Amino acid sequence: MRGKLRAIWPPILIAAIFLIAWQLLVVIQDLKPYLLPAPSLIFSTFTSSIDLMFSAAFYTGSTAFMGLVFGTFIGLVLALLAQRFGVVNNLITPLAAGLAAVPIIALTPILNNMFDITSRTPRVLITTIIVFFPVFVNVTKGLIQVRPVQLELMKSMNATPRTTLRVLRVPNAIPFFFTALKIAAPLSVIAALVAEYFGGPQTGLGSRIASAAANTAYGRAWAYVVASIITGLVFYLIVVMVEKWTTPWTGRSTTA
Amino acid sequence: MSDSTAVNAKGIWKIFNEGQANEVTALQEVDLTVDQGEFISLIGPSGCGKSTLLRVIADLTDATKGELTVAGLSVHEARKQQRYGIAFQQAALFDWRTVRRNIELPLELAGWDKAKRKERALELLEMVQLSDFAEHRPWELSGGMQQRVAIARSLAVDPPLLLMDEPFGALDEMTRERMQNELLRIRLETGKSIIFVTHSIPEAVYLSDRVVVMSPRPGRITDVINVNLGDRNEDTRESEAFFESVTAVREALRGRTGNSGSSIRARVGEV
Repeated sequence: MRGKLRAIWPPILIAAIFLIAWQLLVVIQDLKPYLLPAPSLIFSTFTSSIDLMFSAAFYTGSTAFMGLVFGTFIGLVLALLAQRFGVVNNLITPLAAGLAAVPIIALTPILNNMFDITSRTPRVLITTIIVFFPVFVNVTKGLIQVRPVQLELMKSMNATPRTTLRVLRVPNAIPFFFTALKIAAPLSVIAALVAEYFGGPQTGLGSRIASAAANTAYGRAWAYVVASIITGLVFYLIVVMVEKWTTPWTGRSTTA
Repeated sequence: MSDSTAVNAKGIWKIFNEGQANEVTALQEVDLTVDQGEFISLIGPSGCGKSTLLRVIADLTDATKGELTVAGLSVHEARKQQRYGIAFQQAALFDWRTVRRNIELPLELAGWDKAKRKERALELLEMVQLSDFAEHRPWELSGGMQQRVAIARSLAVDPPLLLMDEPFGALDEMTRERMQNELLRIRLETGKSIIFVTHSIPEAVYLSDRVVVMSPRPGRITDVINVNLGDRNEDTRESEAFFESVTAVREALRGRTGNSGSSIRARVGEV
């Protein structure tokens, strides 16, 4: 317990110093909110409209979650195919890398036209594409990078490729999968949020930030930014918790 | 094929990259017979093909040429029927399984039901004196304990033959000697035939009935030293006979005349 406290207080202290310095800077320099609102203003706006914050976060979070589920599913299926068939791996990996290099967010207006702009579909699609890549790359690596001696052991026991997949490759890939999710989960929130900047329903965090800023309600815009950060953190922490539950061996490694 | 023969190898060749510029003859005309219940060590410098020979016997790699049977079966059939257990220098345990479930792995693949698997694993844990660690994870165990788990796993389906590729190579000297005694005890209890690859001369002498000396470029058997030390105990390591055998193996490794009476040596000499 003491060790945990010791690990927690330095970042809290630094955050507190940072916020105090920010507050002092705004007050002493008499900065206008459109330049930089004070933390106290952001905080009071946040707490006074907590219901709005929550509903906006819930809307964007749902979009992100759907994209996360679809993207993860596609990434996993393709990774299994890539491990099983080297050809698929050689085919998909450059394509996937190409897809990752495309500024996907820039496609949003186009997707908004292709699909119903009033629906969630284009946003979920963007999030899916963004999530799929880290999942695919990491899980493929986890399925393929098995220690040679463990493969020899499986062979010595006359294991079929299918059994080897189930008994060795999939468990081996699980820590890689969680590494991917830790990248993909907060990323899905960012993708869902930024996709909202390009029109469509005005219920999400991205839309609210844009409209608050357009209406010179800077305190409110920043409050939504805070809500966005919290949403991303919640996604990340959920992944960390699930990882702790399900894979107690992650981060450990037997050397001998 | 006699039932008392655990391994019978005749004229085994293993050539890597045959016909290419980087061709390597890993094994040249290797003859080796291991009787049921016999303990054989393969010793020699790096690149002498001792691990390759073990892998050929395990059917982890194919021989280029030659005849080879394990327990009277083709190597492929022997592997299919799990007629040997294998342990490597790395314990190669699965971190996501408990110690007990690591030992159950070969039984799972052989289709044993859950209750029988557990019973057998606990029995083996008792044999390697790790009963208290059944539900621990591999990383919670020391290197020597992990290697004991690997040995228990190799014994799981009760195969007549154990193949061991430098299983104690990564352990410190004290742990190593303790493990050697454990292995000899397990051998007494189970009557397994064992082929043991090692770099260590005292280890080979202490454990084996016969020490097979190999030499590199091309990998081949150059000598076979019979070791007659009777029942081993802590005094064995300091006995006159032990040092004589150690010297015989050392000289054989240097290419001097060691023990005589090896038909294999004579045959290789003619080539």
